[in-house]
Amino acid sequence: MAALWLRRAGHHCLRAHLSPLLCIRKWSLPMVMSICHRGTGIALSAGVSLFGLSALLVPGSFESHLELVKSLCLGPALIHTAKFALVFPLTYHTWNGIRHLMWDLGKGLTISQLYQSGMIVLVLTVLSSVGLAAM
Amino acid sequence: PPLPASSSGPSDEPCAHVRRDRANTDFRFTRRFPFPRFVSSSRLSSSEPQWSDRLMSQHFSRTDQPQDAGSKAASLHWTGERVVSVLLLGLIPAAYLNPCSAVDYSLAAALTLHSHWQVQQSFQGIGQVVTDYVRGAALQKAAKAGFLVLSAFTFAGLCYFNYHDVGICKAVAMLWKL
Repeated sequence: MAALWLRRAGHHCLRAHLSPLLCIRKWSLPMVMSICHRGTGIALSAGVSLFGLSALLVPGSFESHLELVKSLCLGPALIHTAKFALVFPLTYHTWNGIRHLMWDLGKGLTISQLYQSGMIVLVLTVLSSVGLAAM
Repeated sequence: PPLPASSSGPSDEPCAHVRRDRANTDFRFTRRFPFPRFVSSSRLSSSEPQWSDRLMSQHFSRTDQPQDAGSKAASLHWTGERVVSVLLLGLIPAAYLNPCSAVDYSLAAALTLHSHWQVQQSFQGIGQVVTDYVRGAALQKAAKAGFLVLSAFTFAGLCYFNYHDVGICKAVAMLWKL
């Protein structure tokens, strides 16, 4: 309770009658990255499920759908952006997943290593997304 | 001095699988959360200096207390999850370097299994919050069953796509050539 009154964000949460769950703890890089890992995972699963279900339910072959998209004559900038938007969650989740597996092996669990590996994951994500979208 | 006799109470149901021996119910060792039985004794000695070594070796050494079936299954499940994750990780470069139908079907299986287990795990976390505030066991069972059906249909759809259409690897290649 004291923390709620002392921290400005907590004060706001009290006044807005919000749950203090997200207000007490100071936001940190590992915390945000963990939330993003879960978020990207759920988004990717939703995408895969959508793809699988549409293969069963939507009539027409994959090629015909691609022809439809091609006929829209979208500019290369838009296509590039769309590829980047598709590939960014995937690369983030993949690199952070490797980080998770390293933790499961018991490696890199100190706080400073957490921040270092987090920054490495972020840099790798941006580089690989840009690289894959350009292909 | 003899330790007080254990009293297996009805409370603390989350740790019901933990055997209630004397160390768990002695007031010095009682915790609000279930204390894992297979914690190594070195970790215990660093956090609880008043515990006697005899007690630790008696109640918390791995050789003394074999895991029961429940925790063994959970441990195997955890390992299985890691194996599927590593498999999926390896399939990504394989899909790029060697696209073939074997990779397609393996991708379909690993993808759906990984997403099913991990999403189930994250919803179990949210589910704890839900069970705190919402009382609906039937609703939760329905949600679990529905999620299983969704995963099954996703896998079926991906396999259908692999069989009747171009397949996952080729599809990504075609999409990227746009």
